[in-house]
Amino acid sequence: MKALKNSPKFLTGLIIITCLIVLALMEPYINDYRLKGHSPTEIGLYDIFLEPSWEHPLGTDSYGRDVLALLLNGLKYSLFIGFTAGGLATIIAVFLASLAGYKGGKIEAFITVLSNSILIIPSWPILAIIVLFVKKIDLFTLSVILAFFSWAGPSRQIKPQISSLKARPYVDLARVNNFSDLEIMFKEILPNFLPYILVGFSVAVTGSIMAETALRIVGLGPGDIPSLGQVINWAIYSGAMAIGQYLVILIPITFLILIFVSLNLINVGMDEILNPKLKQITGM
Amino acid sequence: MKEPLIEIRDLRVYFRTIYGDARSTDGVSLKIFENEVFGIAGESGCGKSTLVEGVLRLMKPPGYIKSGEVIYKGKNLFELTEEEFNKIRWKEIAYIPQGSMNSLNPVLKVEEQMIDAILSHTDTSKEEAKQIALEALDSVGLPEDVINMYPHELSGGMRQRVCIAMSTCLKPKIIFGDEPVTALDVVMQKLNLQTIMHLKEKIGLTVVMVAHDMAWHAEVCDRMAIMYAGKVVETGPVEEIFLNPLHPYTEGLLNAVPSLKRKFAKSIPGIAPSPLNWPPGCRFHPRCYRKMNICENEEPELKLIDSERYVACHLYNGGNWK
Amino acid sequence: MKQLVKYFLKRVLLYFLIFVISLSAFFFFINLVPGDPVTRYVQQLEQRYGISTPLTEEIVRKYKEAFGLDKDLFTRYILYIRRLVFEFDFGPSFVAFPKPAYSLIVDALPWSIGLLGTAVLTSWILGIFIGTVIGWKRESKVSNFVLICGLVASQIPSYLLALILVMVFSFGLGLFPMGGAYSAALKPGFSFSFISSLIYHAFLPSMSLILIYVFGVMISQRALVINLLGEDFLKLAEAKGLDKKRLIKRYILRNTLLPQATGLAMSLGFIVNGFFLIEWIFNYPGIGRLFMMAIREMDYNVLMGITVTTMFCVLTANLIIEFLYPLIDPRIRRG
Repeated sequence: MKALKNSPKFLTGLIIITCLIVLALMEPYINDYRLKGHSPTEIGLYDIFLEPSWEHPLGTDSYGRDVLALLLNGLKYSLFIGFTAGGLATIIAVFLASLAGYKGGKIEAFITVLSNSILIIPSWPILAIIVLFVKKIDLFTLSVILAFFSWAGPSRQIKPQISSLKARPYVDLARVNNFSDLEIMFKEILPNFLPYILVGFSVAVTGSIMAETALRIVGLGPGDIPSLGQVINWAIYSGAMAIGQYLVILIPITFLILIFVSLNLINVGMDEILNPKLKQITGM
Repeated sequence: MKEPLIEIRDLRVYFRTIYGDARSTDGVSLKIFENEVFGIAGESGCGKSTLVEGVLRLMKPPGYIKSGEVIYKGKNLFELTEEEFNKIRWKEIAYIPQGSMNSLNPVLKVEEQMIDAILSHTDTSKEEAKQIALEALDSVGLPEDVINMYPHELSGGMRQRVCIAMSTCLKPKIIFGDEPVTALDVVMQKLNLQTIMHLKEKIGLTVVMVAHDMAWHAEVCDRMAIMYAGKVVETGPVEEIFLNPLHPYTEGLLNAVPSLKRKFAKSIPGIAPSPLNWPPGCRFHPRCYRKMNICENEEPELKLIDSERYVACHLYNGGNWK
Repeated sequence: MKQLVKYFLKRVLLYFLIFVISLSAFFFFINLVPGDPVTRYVQQLEQRYGISTPLTEEIVRKYKEAFGLDKDLFTRYILYIRRLVFEFDFGPSFVAFPKPAYSLIVDALPWSIGLLGTAVLTSWILGIFIGTVIGWKRESKVSNFVLICGLVASQIPSYLLALILVMVFSFGLGLFPMGGAYSAALKPGFSFSFISSLIYHAFLPSMSLILIYVFGVMISQRALVINLLGEDFLKLAEAKGLDKKRLIKRYILRNTLLPQATGLAMSLGFIVNGFFLIEWIFNYPGIGRLFMMAIREMDYNVLMGITVTTMFCVLTANLIIEFLYPLIDPRIRRG
């Protein structure tokens, strides 16, 4: 823990993502205050294509909506979907990785082939087709679908750790003491690789948000969930590029990039601490 | 006074860590004379491998050479440019790495790894270089077809012999061996040590051998240095050190070697200190059974005791050690 | 030799296994999610043209019959696989009926493979090169700066960069075309003007991939090089006084080639994902754009066909890379 404080990468990432989360959490209050109770997605609330002003710091879009309000709202949805899908994916990954690492043999081989397949095969078209043909998608369904395609990444982070932890003596000790497999897994193994789960989680969050944005930008998925991808899609289809309204596209892109970069910085920082080179430094 | 072939002066090799500098090798001075076998002993972590890597300028960040000089043929090796030093490397100063799995590049054939050094330093053709490599392999008792093999096809002992053969290809003046036989089984250790000594006689080498096992020093070395916590605590001829160890640490090391007379080897109490935070005063004092008050505060200097013996210990301040 | 054959056989078997598993999983997945393509397609038509007819159900039934969707799931699966394997056929396209989906895909595929292949190889080689340099000189300020840039840049999804590039360089500055693969005024052929137009049109789309993937490869290469620097054999190679060129070529690049090839294989799917959107953004006539058009028209067979084709291409690329492993690493060659 002390080492984490000394990692500028980890700290930078943590600060950025915390700021974004706080911003997303405060969105209802900010927008309520600024829009006087109207929904950020309400069409025709203001005049269209207003220039940035004190009242509308980023102007309004082709439907007369306040761009800043849309962005904060989109950030909230993107983060929510990302964390829900990422969380689900991590749970799947931990479960399958534990199963594989602990049981070994054919089960492990099967799970390895499965997760490698998901990693190797381009999943976006499959995702797009599913989202296209499923009749009604709500926030949760979307997260589940995304989770289904993003567990392979965290699984790759977690599985080798489980396999190595399994070999450690305290697990044998627990086995000698007649703990059940489940007890061993949850009481002895899990706490020891929490940091790896965290790394896997942020990989999954990144993957889910990336996939969700990629779907929404092209106009797939539920139009009533105005995530950042949807905001970009609106901007593209209302011709924001052609009329030079670059900010409407650039700012949601910046938000998304900030999410990805900060989560990655957290991962890199953790990685550097989890694989300390100190052994190399003092060991002769 | 004899001129040393190579002289190390106050060498300090440090490692940058987030907790500050790890002072692995912390002010070592040694003189090594032509044609001798010089041993460096000490527990793991005492900085003996770092010392060799420092002398050969093999340090990689975060490791760096803090200060010191290595004088060879009147030149300070640390003042040479990389290109100038590369010309001396292998041709005059060779190196045998730790006998580990990874001492040879796994993706290149033995032949390529042996001749690339020859080609870099001499104007021989590929065929001539291969001939030299074959002769070298023969001199360490390896069959010819080894040259067409990949490292993973060789046993640990064979790989180590390839390294030994490689190091003698260009008939260098001096070879630094860093635990050259450590990872091998006992028979192989003995065999490989004999090979090194045989080559030493044959081409007139000077050998510096780092090893934690005192038995090898007794077997092959002329003189030796004992290192503790990054510093040399005692140097002298091997026989004298074995028969009459001066520093309490040397005594401890020798007691730790099992022998027939003494069925149970005694280990030194306490644990080796960390290079991040060496103890003040004499670095050995927390583990020393003859600790005095002065040891806690004042660091003893390496002093000449007898014609060829140096020791860094407050016990021998008065010169009345006998 | 025997081990080598065994290695190849194992790879091929695994290749078919993964392909069949993915294909089947994909087929059942698509067919089991609630909502079927024909109903959705007809509904969409009705919505778009503002018609509603009591015959909707009848139309859907006819359509299903025509496309063989009225049979039970398992029969459909067998039929689909049989058609795919023996006739190399994805069924007719809904929209371009009776043109088969297959011909649409075959027309689009070379564009995608050409652009993607060039971009991926360029960034892979460039990334390895830069990564080696900054790994070798890891203490220098420039290296650290490049690394920090890479940590940020490698995390940008390629499709977002594509948006930025098209916005800045095509819409904003007008330096590059907004889309297409070549100028409409030119006839395809081996003329200088046509080829330069090809490159001009492919520049931004490939850049949106290269600018990101270069950094991804660079970061992993840097880590590999730094790990290698601690290896005993590298210490020995340095002690041998080899010249730097030989040292880097034979002792560093050779040894990072295998993990980098694996990395390439593993990230292909991910790259292709982003590439679908890049083609859409730049209106590039490959299968990504075809896919997007098929989505708009809900052209079921084309969508299925494209997905299966990309799966096939990516898996085959993986197999080819795995076939190269024994050339790179002798340890695989001899078991």
